[in-house]
Amino acid sequence: MATTTERPFTLSVPPAELELLQKKLELVRLPDELENAGWDYGAPLSDIRRLVARWRDGFDWHKSETEINKLPMFTRDIDVDGFGTLNIHYVHQKSAVKNAIPLLFVHGWPGHFLEVKNVLPHLTAISGDRPSFHVVAISLPGFGFSEAPKKSGFAGRQYANVFNKLMLSLGYEEYVYQGGDWGHMLGAHVVYHYGHKHLKAWHSNMPFYRRPTLFSNPLLTLEEHLPTQAARVAVEKLTHWRQKGIGYYTEHATKPQTIGYGLSDSPAGLLSWIYEKLVSWSDQYPWTDDEVLEWISIYWFSRAGPAASIRIYYEMTGGNTHDTFEGTARTTVPLGISYFPGELLLPPKSWMQMVGKVVFESEHDKGGHFAAYEQPEKLADDLRRMFGRGGPAFGVVHGHEGYD
Amino acid sequence: MASTTAEEQPFTLAVPDADLELLRTKLASVRFPDELEGAAWDYGAPLADIQRLVTHWKNSFDWRKAEAAINTLPMFTHDIEVDGFGTLNIHYVHQKSAVKNAVPLLFVHGWPGHFLEVRKLLPLLTAGPADQPSFHVVALSLPGFGFSEAPKKPGFKGRHYAEVFNKLMLSLGYEEYVYQGGDWGCALGAHAVTHYAHTHIKAWHTNTPFYRRPKFLSNPLLFLGLLTLPFNEPALAGLQRSQEFMKKGMGYYMEQATQPQTLGYSLADSPVGLLAWIYEKLVSWSDDYPWTDDEVIEWISIYWFSRAGPAAAGRIYYEITNRNTNDLFEGTKRTTVPFGVAYFPGEIAQTPKSWSKMLGKVVFESTHDKGGHFSAFEQPEKLASDLHKMFGKGGPAHGVVPGRNGYD
Repeated sequence: MATTTERPFTLSVPPAELELLQKKLELVRLPDELENAGWDYGAPLSDIRRLVARWRDGFDWHKSETEINKLPMFTRDIDVDGFGTLNIHYVHQKSAVKNAIPLLFVHGWPGHFLEVKNVLPHLTAISGDRPSFHVVAISLPGFGFSEAPKKSGFAGRQYANVFNKLMLSLGYEEYVYQGGDWGHMLGAHVVYHYGHKHLKAWHSNMPFYRRPTLFSNPLLTLEEHLPTQAARVAVEKLTHWRQKGIGYYTEHATKPQTIGYGLSDSPAGLLSWIYEKLVSWSDQYPWTDDEVLEWISIYWFSRAGPAASIRIYYEMTGGNTHDTFEGTARTTVPLGISYFPGELLLPPKSWMQMVGKVVFESEHDKGGHFAAYEQPEKLADDLRRMFGRGGPAFGVVHGHEGYD
Repeated sequence: MASTTAEEQPFTLAVPDADLELLRTKLASVRFPDELEGAAWDYGAPLADIQRLVTHWKNSFDWRKAEAAINTLPMFTHDIEVDGFGTLNIHYVHQKSAVKNAVPLLFVHGWPGHFLEVRKLLPLLTAGPADQPSFHVVALSLPGFGFSEAPKKPGFKGRHYAEVFNKLMLSLGYEEYVYQGGDWGCALGAHAVTHYAHTHIKAWHTNTPFYRRPKFLSNPLLFLGLLTLPFNEPALAGLQRSQEFMKKGMGYYMEQATQPQTLGYSLADSPVGLLAWIYEKLVSWSDDYPWTDDEVIEWISIYWFSRAGPAAAGRIYYEITNRNTNDLFEGTKRTTVPFGVAYFPGEIAQTPKSWSKMLGKVVFESTHDKGGHFSAFEQPEKLASDLHKMFGKGGPAHGVVPGRNGYD
């Protein structure tokens, strides 16, 4: 019987790291700003100044750390073909329901494993006629407290490999998957490599795919031009994204090392880079300063450092030479999609048929890109309806239907 | 008469000790990122380079020595009033030639450039051989760059830059002048001639010629020329180079054109962040220029110690493009002011040479076999020689400035 490399994980940032951060916060040099800039030019100076001051003087990392350590966290070695062993960090919360559905929760950028925090109790709870889940929330390689790959070329297939090996190592031969942002894109890769055999159904809160072309999907191309509200919103968001929203993406996908120096060295720089997205990508979520600072701290204190995390854009796009779905193809693994109004891109609903076999859809009137964090009840509810008795993905995992 | 206010003041660069101390303390606490094995330049500025440069900056680079050398240049500041923006205090080098009738020339830098790019050109232009034309050279720090004030409000557009240029030259007694610029110096040159062609700007030159694609209705012949591109090898190679740049080299542009404030925090707060952001361009945009560590650090220091701080400079991308809604030439029109172009092989955006005609009335062209984006710095003799040929006796723009043809 193979010995396991799983170890319980306790987050414990060394004092030297805390001192360095404190020193940097005390030395901060802030830029100027144009009058009445608001959010027009990026994260506002008054916000960043206030957050830096709080980080320096009031934010209690030890308190956050203690709370985070209440989650059942582990690390284990995962061997990735061609990349050696990566030590992977994850939360593994089992439900008291023995036959709960094993679910892998995958975050994106600038997200992290803690995004599962709010949704965890809803998914693992015992709730009568609604299914329960055993939840595994991984830190992506290069994010949070997982090791980063050391060589170039770590892309879709490798991420899928890590996910599948992790679930198998936990005894979950079959499982389901939930993700947003990179979690969505990587979902397409996992389902391509391990769909049906291991990955039995998946759900995404970020409906996104490559544009249909006249040759590949003629009917879908026409849909954009329909005079419907949905089509109008789709085009508006896409235009805004392409013109105004793609700066960070372009730098990440082409020169991640260059931007990485500032993100590693300047807490204010890292703070603004991420905070801008936390606010502009969420649906008016009432971030507290401490929530923001805890979020940024995960990046600041991450095992591989903040620069490692953004390389995913480069690797998954071949340095901006192809899209993130390269190497995948549509599968017939059941797919569920939740539409949140504050999401960055909201293509016509029919597009998701190109991604997979859509068996579940839900539309919400509140919530943005960080749905699991902003609207945990709504997201949990979607998953329970998708996988519960009478739901379109009920019983996909043999022997783990979600009820005892 | 030009509406300038205060008198011209001599300018001495004197970075306060406290600023030097803060920089020193920050350099002593740098936290470096990791890097993939064998990454080289694929992912951006290499870790080994940046670490070496930081060490040099910490232990060897002598800012006061660099400062003293910069202060040997004749530098000044002058308040320039800009319509709708109040007064901006503008910093510039003003080197007069001993030749009284030298041609007044305004030299305009770009990003990540600065006024010091004129340094090597100065002796060649102001005190060249007697049979070559001489120039009175004015090299300003663009508003928000170097030691010029930055605009305080949104909306500082091409015509505002043009206004600053023109008022500055007029304030120096140069009613009529010529213009040389690269990078933003080229795009802003198009704006400057749009407003002041013939009346004040008598000719202009760029070492970074680029323009928008020709449209059939506006430039039918050039548009049709696109069809013959597959058979025009140099133009095709140039276009492919440009396409490569569009795919791989536009990250800085997109962020600066859409979220310059967000980016600005790391540039203002982290010397290594600023160093990497600029150094990556110094190397990838130049033609194998043998940068010394001192040259690089001095260059970055101008940004680090700039009057408005490093975050202000990137805003030019946002303002001129209307937050990436239009290109750099929006609001410009082609003029018939004599226009000169220098083609350098290491240039980043290489559009077909015929496209320069859309930018202006090309009277002078030169093609070089060495040099990149920063040609005034990399190949000053070549660039100076181009200007000598363009404005010298028998040259196509000789005598454009009445009474100041470059010779006594």
